[in-house]
Amino acid sequence: MPVSNETLKAMIRDLNGFDLSDEELDLIRPEIDFYLAELERLRELDLSSVFSSRLLRVDEGGSSNG
Amino acid sequence: MASSPLLRMTISELAPRIQTREVSPLELTEAALSEAHRLQPKLNSFITLMEEQALSQARELEESLARGEYLGPLHGIPIGIKDNIATAGVRTTVGSRVFADYVPDEDAHVVTLCKQAGAVILGKENLEEFAAGATSNNPHYGPVRNPWGLEHIPGGSSGGGGANVAAGVTFASLGTDLGGSVRLPATFCGAVGLKQTFGRVSQRGLLVTSFNGDHIGPMTRSVMDSALMLQALAGYDPLDPSTLPVPVDDYPAALGQRLSGLTMGIPSDYYFEIVDPQVAEAVHRAISSLQELGVKTKEVSLASMEYAGALRFAGMADSVVTHEPYIREQRDQYGPDTLYRTLAGQFVLARDYSKSLKVQRLIKEEHARVLQQVDFLVTPTAPVAAPRIDEKYFRLNGNEYRARGPGSGMISRCTSPSNSTGLPAITVPCGFTAEGLPIGVQFIGRPFDEKTLFQVAGGYESVSPSRDRWPQLDEK
Repeated sequence: MPVSNETLKAMIRDLNGFDLSDEELDLIRPEIDFYLAELERLRELDLSSVFSSRLLRVDEGGSSNG
Repeated sequence: MASSPLLRMTISELAPRIQTREVSPLELTEAALSEAHRLQPKLNSFITLMEEQALSQARELEESLARGEYLGPLHGIPIGIKDNIATAGVRTTVGSRVFADYVPDEDAHVVTLCKQAGAVILGKENLEEFAAGATSNNPHYGPVRNPWGLEHIPGGSSGGGGANVAAGVTFASLGTDLGGSVRLPATFCGAVGLKQTFGRVSQRGLLVTSFNGDHIGPMTRSVMDSALMLQALAGYDPLDPSTLPVPVDDYPAALGQRLSGLTMGIPSDYYFEIVDPQVAEAVHRAISSLQELGVKTKEVSLASMEYAGALRFAGMADSVVTHEPYIREQRDQYGPDTLYRTLAGQFVLARDYSKSLKVQRLIKEEHARVLQQVDFLVTPTAPVAAPRIDEKYFRLNGNEYRARGPGSGMISRCTSPSNSTGLPAITVPCGFTAEGLPIGVQFIGRPFDEKTLFQVAGGYESVSPSRDRWPQLDEK
């Protein structure tokens, strides 16, 4: 999901009260790109049944094969 | 001037000699201070050396010994404190220009505990700016250098502590670990590093950090010394709601117990997927050594670790909130790596923060299930040995990764998951690269079961190829 430099600059300006140059945004970009890439990866993961109260069983999910 | 042979000893070796007054706390502290001065130009491991306070403390401890008052194995032992842990009356910079003149009114709880146990505080140790990275390449106080290769990073963010312990300046150093910042300097410098269970040690007095997943833990020269340090630090702190009133075990007693009957889990996912071949080989040799010591092996699956990258979302958002008041007023006081990495957290949506917590839960559940079937997990501590200080990128298996600043995180790939699960993890030296840089193996245990980790780590240490090896600093 691409996010434009203008959007990012407006958010920084409105939320932090200072301006960033395009060069500075380029420095931030790798971290944002990481975030967006991981978000993309999460799309394939169904988290709808993950609740802190659900019952755990030893033989569900992560397991040993030894 | 050659360093004192006393500085090549461990806490557990020195303690009985101090107790019987064969070794004097003052003599030991003077030797350590002298070594700190001698090596500071090479290692840049301290931000503030507490010479007067350390000597005064050592004199008092000497007098108390003369009165027959022995405080325990840390009595008269010189240690270092990372400079993001509050020390009363001594400036605590957090490795930043923002806090360059900040002098706390009171000690962090762990500093109080160390003093009560008789440890002598030698100084405040250099670190990554705001402890926000894995290199200890500090833009304001200069880079810390690795005693095993002065052109290499010591790891971070507690790099000063790792360098001091490995070089024979401090006998233990307290670091902080939000993503591996105790374990990474320990592994890169060839020391033992412990991140105990979240809630086992008070964080009260740890400055400018996320409220999720930070830990204060020791770097030491041996597993026994790690156990001795945790014994002094562990326990419920009624003024730190993150601690839990779980009984504290007798940690040193775990060492020396046989390993036969224990089962180790070798993860088939994630931890061994992106690793330098020399690191993988050393860790597999460590696994073979454990098998020879009688430990059974099971391959275990941690399939949800494929999504471990999402665990960082919460940290990104926490970071920007933590820094908000300082960045707004003092943006020009920040180094670029910390500033731009922190600002990126501004863009994490609340929805994704919540998803990150669900992924965290999933990964915690998976570890909980697997640790019902095995006693501990074995992984590399870091996927590579220490990169060079001047490298912004490092190569690993044909790919290029950022060593610091925005987009970095590969170095802490194997350590940061335990900050999210809260599980205890310890790194022990397990050999060297062809270039002579240390490699570490990590053991991850069940919640509040540091005792088993010490048992395993101590057993392995006795056969590790790293035992009795010291960096040859005088030749560098």
